[in-house]
Amino acid sequence: MEQQRPTGVEQEGLTTTETPAAPKVKAHQTPDDVIHLMEKDQTQDVDTLVPLPFPYEDWKDTPIPTLSDEQRSRFEVGPDGVSALQIPKPATEEEKEERVAQFLAGLAKLLDREDNWTFLQPLMLSLENCVKCQTCNDSCGIYTDSGRAEMYRPTFRGEVLRRIIDRYIKPGGGILPGLRGHDIKVDWNMIVNLAELSYRCTLCRRCAQACPIGVDNGLISREIRKLFSQELGIAMPELHTLGTVKQLKTGSSTGLNPAGVADVIEFAEEDIQEKAGLEVKIPFNKEGAEYLVMHNAGEFLSWPENLQAFVIILEKAGVSWTMASEPVGYDSVNYGLFYDDVQYSRIVLKHYGIAKSLGVKKILEGECGHAHKAAMPVADRLVPRDMFVPTESSLVLLEDIVMNDRIKLDPSRNDFPVTLHDPCNITRSMGIIQPQRNILKKICPQFREMTPHGVDNYCCGGGSGFAVGNSVNFPDWRTRVAGRMKFRQILNAFSDSIGPETNKYVCAPCSNCKGQLRDIIRYYEGWDRCRILYGGLVELIVNAMVDVPEGFLEWEFH
Amino acid sequence: MALLLWVWLGCTVFVLGCAWRAYRYASAPEHLRWDLYPVAHEPNAYGGSYLEEKDWWTKPRHSSLVREAVFMAEEILLLRGVWTHNRRLWWGSFPFHWGLYLMVAVTFGLAAAALGLGGQPLLLALAVVGGLGGALLAVGSVVLLYLRARDPKLRPYTAPVDLMNLVLLALLGILSALVANGGMEPVAAAVADLAQARPVSASTLLATQMTVASLFLLYLPATRMVHFFSKYFTYHAVRWDDRPREAGSALDRRLRAALDFGVDWSAEHVRTGKTWAEVATTLPEEKSAGE
Ligand code: SF4
Ligand code: SF4
Repeated sequence: MEQQRPTGVEQEGLTTTETPAAPKVKAHQTPDDVIHLMEKDQTQDVDTLVPLPFPYEDWKDTPIPTLSDEQRSRFEVGPDGVSALQIPKPATEEEKEERVAQFLAGLAKLLDREDNWTFLQPLMLSLENCVKCQTCNDSCGIYTDSGRAEMYRPTFRGEVLRRIIDRYIKPGGGILPGLRGHDIKVDWNMIVNLAELSYRCTLCRRCAQACPIGVDNGLISREIRKLFSQELGIAMPELHTLGTVKQLKTGSSTGLNPAGVADVIEFAEEDIQEKAGLEVKIPFNKEGAEYLVMHNAGEFLSWPENLQAFVIILEKAGVSWTMASEPVGYDSVNYGLFYDDVQYSRIVLKHYGIAKSLGVKKILEGECGHAHKAAMPVADRLVPRDMFVPTESSLVLLEDIVMNDRIKLDPSRNDFPVTLHDPCNITRSMGIIQPQRNILKKICPQFREMTPHGVDNYCCGGGSGFAVGNSVNFPDWRTRVAGRMKFRQILNAFSDSIGPETNKYVCAPCSNCKGQLRDIIRYYEGWDRCRILYGGLVELIVNAMVDVPEGFLEWEFH
Repeated sequence: MALLLWVWLGCTVFVLGCAWRAYRYASAPEHLRWDLYPVAHEPNAYGGSYLEEKDWWTKPRHSSLVREAVFMAEEILLLRGVWTHNRRLWWGSFPFHWGLYLMVAVTFGLAAAALGLGGQPLLLALAVVGGLGGALLAVGSVVLLYLRARDPKLRPYTAPVDLMNLVLLALLGILSALVANGGMEPVAAAVADLAQARPVSASTLLATQMTVASLFLLYLPATRMVHFFSKYFTYHAVRWDDRPREAGSALDRRLRAALDFGVDWSAEHVRTGKTWAEVATTLPEEKSAGE
């Protein structure tokens, strides 16, 4: 097939990236065909993936590795041969039946007003009102870029869940199930596939935006995850055991305890002195400070320059701020948002409890998208008012600092092509769109938008915890399938200067998005072939600060 | 007499069924915020929210019902979302929906005529609108039927009952157009009979049309076609619900009450049998106050 170069097109005010037809599209003809997908092995074929634009005409994807026999003997895989969850194989048929019964019991709880008060109304609305018009389909980058694989269609998971509910949970489910379209038999294989497929959706909600009825297939994926976690104890290990459980136990999902944080901070202070000539003592537990600044602790280890840049800006702008040393208080991560309301609530209440005890006036969310959403709109309905502390986005404070010249800036230091990746949680789920753009327009002379952008952005493919999913063959799927649309967008945004002679910067004000960008740029060799680097927003601001020696931004891929 | 009872049954089940579905949605517990941008009542056309403002909790909000109404009007009258994202379907969906809208309008018009309002001009207008509505419904249903049966993205998600529904609606459209073609006086007379619970005098054609229409009303509340009102909830109670929680407000009280709900989830990390407040404030290995 001839390679096509995707172009940005304006469509009724909504910009989209055209998706060239993939070489092979599997067509399914009947409702039974679709359900049978849950019974077959549909290993994702990399030849069906959407081709990449210039200069990647010669690009050949390496296949997604299949699991070894040893791995297959230990745990289950999804219908695409990928394992995000490493669900242990039951030893006996009885155990399988028990798990299926547990699943059905959990499904009833998902529809119960007390057990699921947190999301019952939106879930019910989404389950009961989808007219199956498929208007939402092409909004999903995972679906389109996979070559429109049926199992990734935004409506697929919801369709399966709906049929199970109609057949097994609703009264009279056994009456004419074939005629009514819910002739389905639930078995262990089906629930494994459903659990895995709930982790092939990044909960980005782009499909929900396109749905004329207001159905949210992202929420349905989330609720399926929740049912598996809260009832069967099945969740992505990086989100649960290595995520929220570890965070509640040690203080951070990175495993950093307060002593570890102290080391990180000492190192940051030294680095700031070296790079910016600024002698600073990073404030901790300063009672009554204006802001309690909360970072994703992943930054401390993977991108310490982000923490340092924040410190430099806040200090130079004369902001009254502090960080917290109490466990959980120094890590804004809350992976519960993605899969489990109980874990989510525990972490949110810890965060607010610590802020309240410090007597700060506000909480400031650093550059982490899901932490924004977890702590701001969603938490607003959970945290009792006597524990509440107003919370603000760092993008808003940074806009105030930059636009009101509270620090001196020289934009010519950022005279290289820059584009912005919008984190879904900050834009589509919170409507914070303009502050980051105002900053970039002021400090980056060669700033250009991706197509589409803002509320219409595509997910980076690392959303909903995918960016930290690093086990078995999940990261191989994540880069090739989930991240493909974003990489295409990046190439298109830099098409005027794509060669390796020009350094280019993808600004992503979100830790998880940065993790995913790192992995896709590495997989597609974007640094070697095109000199595409990624990083946060504060790094660009500090790079332009007149008070800081030139070269804060290091053009090294890591 | 049978027709009178059948139509009354259809109308009663329709009203009660829709009321029950709406009540279920309206009485569901207050959920965690799950807004989705753009939110139509916000002033920023690019989809920005009040969270873009510094110290947003101290600022006045600029919510606009007019912007919501304009968005909804475009969505309901033009099927904007389908036009933008699913053009092929729009060619069936648009006439289908307009057919139904016009037929609903005619129903209200007939009620007015039965009350003696409007006279001949109203009946004439109803005949034109009814004829057009029936024709659009028939055309839209046939196009949708074709797409549902043939389109590879619709076919696998279409149940036999969905096809039967479209066949019934195509039939209803054709019958309605034929009835309108014969003039609306007999229809207004039949509506007056129905309203006064008298045996309905109607031609075979009209009686068939009314029988089919009532059958449709009878099962509609059990289907996803209730989106004509549930869309109110998906938009206003979820996508556009960006109300911040204020201490002492009704929202605040309902959310506080939810913390006393019981938790029955069985996974080990959840503490089954406790309240939400207890579960959220303690870890599995800890004990909550008073234990
Ligand atoms: S989710 Fe919405 S757009 Fe998608 S099929 Fe259902 S009703 Fe149509
Ligand atoms: S939420 Fe995002 S990833 Fe999930 S189905 Fe919708 S568009 Fe696709």
